[in-house]
Amino acid sequence: MWTTVFVSGITLGSFYTLVALGFALIFGVTHTFNLAHGELIVLAGYVAYWLWKTYGVSFLFTFPAAVLVALTVCLLLQRLFSRLKEPLELNSIVMSFGVAILLQNGMLFFFSGDYRLIRVPTFNQGLHFKTLYLSYGQLTLLALSLVVIGLLYLLMRHTYLGKALRATIQDREAAALAGINVSGMGLLAFAIGAILIGLAGPLYGSVHYLYPAAGLQATLLAITITIFSGVGRIRGLILGGWILGFAESGAVVLLGASWRELVGAVMLITLLALRPQGILEREK
Amino acid sequence: MQTKGTTRQQAIQQQIAWAAPTLGLVLLLLLPAFARYNDYVLQVFTHALLLATLALAWNILGVSGSISLGHAAFFGAGAYTSALLSLDLGISPWATIPLGGVLAAGIAAIMGLFCLRLRGAYFALATLAFVEIPKVITDNWDGLTRGSLGLVGLPGLPSLQLGSYHFDLSASLVGSYYFVLAYGLVLLGLVTFVFRSNLGLALQAIREEEVAAEAVGIQVQRYRLLSLLLSAFFSGITGACYGHLIRYLEPGLVYGLHFSAIPMIFAICGGRFTILGPALAALVLYPVDQFIFHPLLPAGHEFLYGAVIILAILFMPSGVWGQVRKAHFVSIKTGSVE
Repeated sequence: MWTTVFVSGITLGSFYTLVALGFALIFGVTHTFNLAHGELIVLAGYVAYWLWKTYGVSFLFTFPAAVLVALTVCLLLQRLFSRLKEPLELNSIVMSFGVAILLQNGMLFFFSGDYRLIRVPTFNQGLHFKTLYLSYGQLTLLALSLVVIGLLYLLMRHTYLGKALRATIQDREAAALAGINVSGMGLLAFAIGAILIGLAGPLYGSVHYLYPAAGLQATLLAITITIFSGVGRIRGLILGGWILGFAESGAVVLLGASWRELVGAVMLITLLALRPQGILEREK
Repeated sequence: MQTKGTTRQQAIQQQIAWAAPTLGLVLLLLLPAFARYNDYVLQVFTHALLLATLALAWNILGVSGSISLGHAAFFGAGAYTSALLSLDLGISPWATIPLGGVLAAGIAAIMGLFCLRLRGAYFALATLAFVEIPKVITDNWDGLTRGSLGLVGLPGLPSLQLGSYHFDLSASLVGSYYFVLAYGLVLLGLVTFVFRSNLGLALQAIREEEVAAEAVGIQVQRYRLLSLLLSAFFSGITGACYGHLIRYLEPGLVYGLHFSAIPMIFAICGGRFTILGPALAALVLYPVDQFIFHPLLPAGHEFLYGAVIILAILFMPSGVWGQVRKAHFVSIKTGSVE
């Protein structure tokens, strides 16, 4: 039983890290909270579902379309976010809450309120290693999440662009003084965030049911993992994702599936209560 | 010249500030006479009034500068408490509705324990997450709450017997309408009293400059807790009334994002630093949603609320009524100079 918890904890946790990456990057660079993050992931999931269901596009080929849609919406959103006035964090929360409502109602209009799932037939088969069982669905989720996280890690750590992004996350004024185009970095963060959202969307649609209001759960877990790790730490995000993944899998086994939603919420409130000054203050 | 122009504009705004609410109140009082043969119109305005009370209650906390994204926790707790007490123990709704408010305030006390140390964005995020706790508990405690099946057949509001007059509050739409209107007016009076009392002044001082407020001796955390408790108490009462009017509850419905979003949106669009703004926004926006956008777009008509809050935060952060009342505040300040 505990090997099941371990396997699902690691796969879910890695996927949660992928879900949180875009949110953490946008927040770190622009200091705005995007509460519509989960809705964007669900939207990307719907795009994949729609292509897969109506045109029979194979699961892997839905990713480019999902990324394209996420990119378009996120770049429009970036225009809105760049107009916000101080206090940036609070105003971005209120505005993106409005964006979330807009997106939910748009999805309700185009895709109706029915629950949808991308059912890839091979995902239910799997590999047995003695007591350990790994389905192809879990394997895909784990592999794709880790590859994307690894690529982002390489981008942030080993390229000049990544260095500029990290500098902006650490200190915006000093970065600007060093000649980094800070507002350009904000645009870039939204673009990279959108690619991450577009990649997370179809995966989300293959493990969770898609419905217009499903985004809140994804948003909450992105916030939880981001607050856990602090900004600008990909390794911290992986740790946060795994802890949340293990905690949720453990709660499902011990208490039942219906208590799963509580885990992320309790973890977020506890983290906030322990670190009341927020996560940006600590950096300074 | 410019001063004269400004004063004329101020005078006009002063007149709007009196005329609009007076006209609104007269129209609200007479509405059942116009809408006697149109049940739908009465239902929409009854619900608009109920949402107005929720927005007024939200704003008791809002005036201190805190933005809550979790008032559904109080709304749902009030609705479930009153519904279960009246349904299972047969207690009259007149007694269970205030108890709904008390339990909501109790939940607010727990929320305050964890969230009141937080400010601004982090307070908002914590309240957003907090709603999940009463929601999941209500959803899973089948023995008490019947879980996700929800509650059906709640008792309606009992009739009122005053002398020879007999007010039927639940069977007749007109009765329900006047009941919610009366509750709204009482709450408006209370909110006006709170805003103008020392508590209200302290909350506004905390909003403007918390450090300075603390320096002049305002016990910041005590006042913030008090405003949270009051706000939750009345949100719980509104939730309880909602239950007895709709006579059907479900965890996903009363603890849903809708009842957290709606009061925040109405308060900010109307003007969260004003007394009337949140209620006026509810009375305008909800009927616009129901009469114009719902027939056009049966699925997705609530995009309206998303659109108005985005526009408000970008172009009118002090809200529509806040804009009208701004002249009032400016005239107080410059009055002594002229």
